[in-house]
Amino acid sequence: MNTTETPSRIKVITGNAAAAIAAKLARPDVVAAYPITPQTEVIEQISTFHASGEMDCELITVEGENSAMNAVMAASLAGGRVFTASSSWGLVFMYDAVLAVAGARAPVVMVNVNRETPGIIAVSSGQQDMISTRDAGWIFLIAEDCQEVLDLVLQAYRLAEDYDIQLPVMVHYDGFFLSYLSEGVDIPEQETVDRFLSVLETQPKRTVLHPGEKLGVGSHGILGGYMELRHKHVTAMERSKAKFEEIDKEFSGIFGRSYGGQLEEYRTDDADIVLVGSGSMCGTIKSVIDDQREKGVRIGLVKIRMYRPFPHKALVAALKGKKAVGVVDRSLAFGFDGGPIYTELKAFETRMDGAQLVSFIDGIANTDITKTNVDKMIQMTRDLADGKDVPEVTWVSYPEANTKGEK
Amino acid sequence: MAEKKQGRLTKVLDYLKHDDPFSKGVAFCPGCGLELLLRFIPRVLGNDIVITGTPSCSAPVLLGQNNQSWHTLSYFGTLMTGAAANATGLVRYYRKAGIDNTVVCFNGDGTANDIGFGNLSGAAERNEPFIYICYDNEGYMNTGIQKSGTTPFGATTTTTPYGTVHRGKNLRRMNLGLKMAMNKIPYTATATLSDLEDLAKKLLKAKEAKERGFCFLHVFAPCPTGWGADPADTIEICRRAVKSNYFPLWEAENGRIRMTKTVKKPKPVDTYTKLMKKFNHMTEADMKILQDDVEYEYCLLGGLSVLEAECQLPVSVKDQGEAS
Repeated sequence: MNTTETPSRIKVITGNAAAAIAAKLARPDVVAAYPITPQTEVIEQISTFHASGEMDCELITVEGENSAMNAVMAASLAGGRVFTASSSWGLVFMYDAVLAVAGARAPVVMVNVNRETPGIIAVSSGQQDMISTRDAGWIFLIAEDCQEVLDLVLQAYRLAEDYDIQLPVMVHYDGFFLSYLSEGVDIPEQETVDRFLSVLETQPKRTVLHPGEKLGVGSHGILGGYMELRHKHVTAMERSKAKFEEIDKEFSGIFGRSYGGQLEEYRTDDADIVLVGSGSMCGTIKSVIDDQREKGVRIGLVKIRMYRPFPHKALVAALKGKKAVGVVDRSLAFGFDGGPIYTELKAFETRMDGAQLVSFIDGIANTDITKTNVDKMIQMTRDLADGKDVPEVTWVSYPEANTKGEK
Repeated sequence: MAEKKQGRLTKVLDYLKHDDPFSKGVAFCPGCGLELLLRFIPRVLGNDIVITGTPSCSAPVLLGQNNQSWHTLSYFGTLMTGAAANATGLVRYYRKAGIDNTVVCFNGDGTANDIGFGNLSGAAERNEPFIYICYDNEGYMNTGIQKSGTTPFGATTTTTPYGTVHRGKNLRRMNLGLKMAMNKIPYTATATLSDLEDLAKKLLKAKEAKERGFCFLHVFAPCPTGWGADPADTIEICRRAVKSNYFPLWEAENGRIRMTKTVKKPKPVDTYTKLMKKFNHMTEADMKILQDDVEYEYCLLGGLSVLEAECQLPVSVKDQGEAS
């Protein structure tokens, strides 16, 4: 991390507060949202900003998440900057509109506070909501800590509204672990954020829906053109990878913090083995890596910051030539022997010059990914590197899964 | 010679101050009530409205097929689940950006009364400044004539067919207009195609009232294809629906109901039902149930219109609007 001097102030706030403050700093025209644990604090904060006049936006207190997404979609297509926030069941309840937003290429920015979805009782952290919606056509970014929540929301606006991208962006952060965790966050000045976002005003104007113009959104039953639109969507997603790296560099110049774009690599240069993770677990992993490094273990971390589009080229470049790679998932992929991110990465294993992959499932339903658990993962990944027999998938906090003989 | 005979019609023509933005030939069935309504709205309200529509019978014409819409209006193709929320997003942004607008959220009864009722209700609660128009053809016509919440008692649809055990819909229809009026929104009205002057006046009232918030028009729009009626009878069906009190015409400002047309001697409901096949199978006993239901609903409506006229309008209702 760089330490360029910029006017700032550090406050101890939660991840939810960081998201709300970031939204305020981005000066959206329209915010629509509905409460859900563990996201609620985001809209409470925004409502407070709105009530006190600190936030000059249209605030739509909708009757459900589905309407939140529909309202911000329309406001976005009319030309507005928009924000919404949800989690888990809320994300699922707005899912038809989530797909419509992507198809309409509306530059909506939202935060999704990751929470389990299976069963109504799963009021706990996990990434299954993100995994279940991964191919909606949105750009997915994942934050590690409260500072990154704030920074990613700001970066998300630059990415979503960029004239060459025009795609919705969802910033994910772990519910409970980050939503309610208070830590020091450097809150930038409004004018600094304005400067960062002002680049968008210099770009060509996107097409918007205004009264009296012979223009429509959402044609019905397109035949040949549909394939073209879908392909354009795919190519815009691909463009977003390099664009995100550029934005991160520019962000670093203005705010003095850099994360590395699609991935953050931590002590990977001379590493023999690497863990791949995402979100709040990465803080713990980094700390364990520091301990292990002192004992001479050459280990590093690759943190996924951009999950959709899947950053496979950056991942292959980072993991190429390593001896073994342990992939940590906080969600499930049914029918595969391993977690979803592991399964996706596995498709590129042959390009990694012999690096072997192994899957760890942990952190489901608020289970802590403890230092002990990370130690276990590192030991097993080292064993794999040493040619020992290691199961393809290990449920780290649930040893029963590994001994019952079930796959 | 036409001038003498068409006295009433010329009155209606006075309201048609704007061009018809629709193509002369469009992909609707002959006699479609929806088409007549759809062409009428921008001719009265102007061509600078933003119209939204869902996947439905209106979709091919309103939203376009293969990249081409059949009109020159500004339009937004919404999901059925979120139609009123989409219109909300539009008007809120226009307000923030200082853009004058008349947004017409144009949906069938399936969207308005059933799958999209939650967000319609939410928009009413927040008093969003746009006009919601429901064209009620009493079912899901575009998907092939299925039952909706406004399908009347006895009617056959493809999901309430005539069988040896069940004969048509065995439930009463919901009164969508009344449900909305009870939210005390600035303007609610019912209308139909046999009374175009009444419809035109109500559209203009809604345009004026939407400056104070949410407006809802419930328009009875027959579907000859789905109902098994002669396409030439569309207007006559509307007329008889009004004259039998099957579909009474009224309006409500801030929930205070006023009849806009009172039928002195209402005709029996079978004068209306016999114009279509969907009620063909009904026995006398079945018809009595429908007749009683129509009379009961009309009685409730009449009662409300008397009671509410006596109620003092509170200041809070005069001035309602979500803080922002």
